[in-house]
Amino acid sequence: MAKRTDDARTGPTRANDPTVLILTSLASGEKHGYALLLDIEGFAGTRLGPGTLYGAIGRLESRGLIEAVGEAGRRRPYRLTAAGAETLRVTLDEMRAIVDEGAARLARPPALGIAPAAGAA
Amino acid sequence: MRAARTGRRLLRLYPAGWRARYGDELEALIVDASGGGRVPWRTRADVVRAAARERAAAAGLGGAGPAGERVRGGVLLVLCAWALFVVGGLVVQRTSEHWQAVTPAADRALPSAAFAVLVGAAACASVLVVAGTALALPSLIAFLRGGGWPQIRSRVIGATVVTDVTVVATIGLVVWAGTLTAAERDGGDVAYAAAFVIWALLGVACLGAWTLVAVAVARRLRLPEATLRAEAWIAAAVAAAMVAMTAAAVVWWAALASAAPWFLSGRPAGATGATFAPQLAVAVALMLAAVALAAAGARQAVRALPELGERP
Repeated sequence: MAKRTDDARTGPTRANDPTVLILTSLASGEKHGYALLLDIEGFAGTRLGPGTLYGAIGRLESRGLIEAVGEAGRRRPYRLTAAGAETLRVTLDEMRAIVDEGAARLARPPALGIAPAAGAA
Repeated sequence: MRAARTGRRLLRLYPAGWRARYGDELEALIVDASGGGRVPWRTRADVVRAAARERAAAAGLGGAGPAGERVRGGVLLVLCAWALFVVGGLVVQRTSEHWQAVTPAADRALPSAAFAVLVGAAACASVLVVAGTALALPSLIAFLRGGGWPQIRSRVIGATVVTDVTVVATIGLVVWAGTLTAAERDGGDVAYAAAFVIWALLGVACLGAWTLVAVAVARRLRLPEATLRAEAWIAAAVAAAMVAMTAAAVVWWAALASAAPWFLSGRPAGATGATFAPQLAVAVALMLAAVALAAAGARQAVRALPELGERP
């Protein structure tokens, strides 16, 4: 498996990282702040605070992973850039590798044993 | 609209540059997310936290960028935390004057041990801060020789002015104190008490001004990788010492509350009284805030170390 990348240098790596959630949300099209908030709450069950959301938007924009669309305004939409789409792909691949590994390990008989569920014989 | 008004107030916490770029959008989001009504405390706390993060980033204390910058930012965060901690520590020092004299000898062991840890850790941390400063001296000299003085001149002059005012105020206060009785110095003279508070605030301003100078200078220095590594570990050690000092201060307070509660309430020895000392509560709160800040800074600096020297 590839060495885990670092957030500050190449991109986010955790599923609950606001930057991952924003990139994922923008993958389906451009959205402004409030639309992002609602979309993320819908697919991730997490309600980001406005400060957290715009902090992440600022970091993503400064890295060229997203860009504002149109004229400056109070409800300005953002969209994914090509670099942002690539970063999201890499991040999802890393997450998928962990998911696959975890699932495979759960499917194998454990070497050291896993505590049985409560009530199990 | 209440939400818009609250949003505008919260936006003032952000750096001007950030506000100019995202201010209108964030205000609109706060209004939308609050339905135009009262902004929930959770939302306010989130915005305050995010604004602090942007402020830290603007001051070069942020956790983003190349590894070297993250180490430097973490170390400077610990330095700022140390300055805050010193304020709390001075309040503890002032409050603890002569505590041994009014504590029964049989009950002195635990508070004495805690106080010794507090003083010992303070001495270690002070030496470490001086060592960290000394390590950066060659880079500072190179910076000044390279024509860096104009970049920091205004900050240094500002800190010098605050220091001069503090020195003059200290001399005035000492002279004034010499004309008063002990009872008047200990709160009996309202004017003197007010002057003492103003003098203490001047001291805090002085400490803050020189800390800002240190941050402004350190942001501009070219620090070799070995120095950055050493600074990161020094910062971690200072943070650990701050944890030890805070724990020792709390133990000392608790032990004294049990052994000599009259000391904390300012009553004669043997008298009963409240064991809660507001000034100590403020001091411990400052120390805890500083410990949280230092822990974040030390963690940031040490975590970035493995990437030092790697090509970006």
